[in-house]
Amino acid sequence: MAAKTRNMFGGGKLARWLPWLMLLPGLGFYFLIGVGPSLATFIYSFTDATGIRGLPINWVGFDNFDEFLFQGARSRDNIDALKRTLIFMVLVTTIQFTVGLVMALLVNQKLRGRLIFRTLFFVPVILGVAVQGLMWKLFLRPGGGPMDSIFGWFGMESQFLNGENAFYWVIVVQIWANAGFTMVIFLAGMQTIPADLYEAAAVDGASGWNLFKNITWPQLTPAINTNLLLNIVGSLQAWMLFLVLTGYKNGTQVLGYVVYAEAFGGTGSGSFRQGYAAAASIVLFILVLMLGMSANAFVNRRERKYMS
Amino acid sequence: MSVLDEFPIATPVKPPPRNKQARRRKALRNGASYAILFLFAAFYVGPLLILIFASMKSLPEFFADPTGLPESFELANFGDAWDLANFPGYLMNSLIYTVVATALFVIMSVFVAFPIARGYVRGAGALLTLYVVALFLPPALIPQFQLILNLGLFNTRQGYILLFLINPIGLIILVNYIKSIPRELDESAAMDGCGYVRFVWSILIPLIKPAIATVTVIHAIGIWNELILANVYLTNEDLYPITKGLIVFEGVYGSDWPKLAAAVLMLMLPMLVLFMFLQRYIISGLTSGAVKG
Repeated sequence: MAAKTRNMFGGGKLARWLPWLMLLPGLGFYFLIGVGPSLATFIYSFTDATGIRGLPINWVGFDNFDEFLFQGARSRDNIDALKRTLIFMVLVTTIQFTVGLVMALLVNQKLRGRLIFRTLFFVPVILGVAVQGLMWKLFLRPGGGPMDSIFGWFGMESQFLNGENAFYWVIVVQIWANAGFTMVIFLAGMQTIPADLYEAAAVDGASGWNLFKNITWPQLTPAINTNLLLNIVGSLQAWMLFLVLTGYKNGTQVLGYVVYAEAFGGTGSGSFRQGYAAAASIVLFILVLMLGMSANAFVNRRERKYMS
Repeated sequence: MSVLDEFPIATPVKPPPRNKQARRRKALRNGASYAILFLFAAFYVGPLLILIFASMKSLPEFFADPTGLPESFELANFGDAWDLANFPGYLMNSLIYTVVATALFVIMSVFVAFPIARGYVRGAGALLTLYVVALFLPPALIPQFQLILNLGLFNTRQGYILLFLINPIGLIILVNYIKSIPRELDESAAMDGCGYVRFVWSILIPLIKPAIATVTVIHAIGIWNELILANVYLTNEDLYPITKGLIVFEGVYGSDWPKLAAAVLMLMLPMLVLFMFLQRYIISGLTSGAVKG
């Protein structure tokens, strides 16, 4: 970073200020709708703000946090949502990580058609939740839908997204939608492994599992760490597929959805409790921060172990 | 470079199989690989095929058999969905939001990224840090809503576009790319009497085209796919983008899957075409946001 570099375009007073002047619109919007509101979330979490324009906003201290975590039946639902968020995180992270790795290993071989498979697995990533969700709503339609038919062959039955296992079906769709992304990061990591490592090992007679264990896995450390962190943080914050697939109902909602629903009238009560929702989003933020930081510490230790 | 393209692969290299047994083992392993790949692929092709099948069925046909092949290639559903779902209107809205917000964002960002990358403004390093840190802050959703509400921009096109004028990852991509452009270029251009704005506009921008393409596509995809902000900020049906329009359509025609499937396909199509042509930019954009910059 050459912080002291002089701008050498022109010498006049205006010319000297030009870089600042031209930078201001972009930076201004960034403060106005990005960083500013982000930080203001902390402040709103201590108020009784609503979504109605002109209503006075009062300072309520820690009331929102107290209510969210400790008061009444609602708080028990919230704690359940918190636990569910953690289950969602653990399942999505482990399965998506594994599936992504297996995909990457498979399509990294010299196989005919591997480019088609790569593209196929990646495409859902760019489709967005509306399309992803509706596709799977059709696929998981009870009463003769494709998955229902497959279940039928084995004599099983399920209501899928309407049934008691809806939460787990959303996890399936979440992984389907994002595994291609994990795969691509693994693939990028595999590209950087020098081929002569494999050649040398092959000369020594190593093959299959040994090559993977002793070369691929340690050499993939940066990609493994990136994927771990992204999956953990991403799955803690993911909730949008729930909106499309199941809607807001007890037994499926995760924290991110609680924030949205409380803030914008999605709970069915029609109220916009934005101070309360801001407190909920701070709770989620702290969760992400804590888990993200522990994962990061873990990952850094691995990196030192393998890369030094 | 996109990893979906052909690239020098570090595939475990094995000496060519010398005997019959080794060759058999290789064939077996390839066979197993294909078996797993096709199993995965079924999960990816399946939902799409079912969607295409459904879009070609009449409603009674769909109820009789939601899964199987359609009896005939019926395209009426596409026309019906196009009219019923107010597709032209929603599509136009999505297009306006995506084009206007992306253009504004990219142009403003180049003028932010250039002086930061070069250190032409004081505190350039701190500014860059500010963009990196933002990736870890809590979501801006609620105060943003209060802001838009109080500015009187709730339920307006301007307000909705305003929300998409930022993208920290996009900015970081630009800064990193500009750093790879030799600084001597600035000096010689300045020496020839080229002004600051003209330099950025007609010399720098053509030079950083790949980065601009990357940022443009990832930003545009984000806006095109956005559903939550449309849910929050737009209540006037005339302003809905296509994603929200689709969900509304689902609410009304939820059981008419043939029409709904046709509508979903029509929303998907532009994305798929875009992906075919801009694969490398899309992937490098999405992954460079993920890998430490």
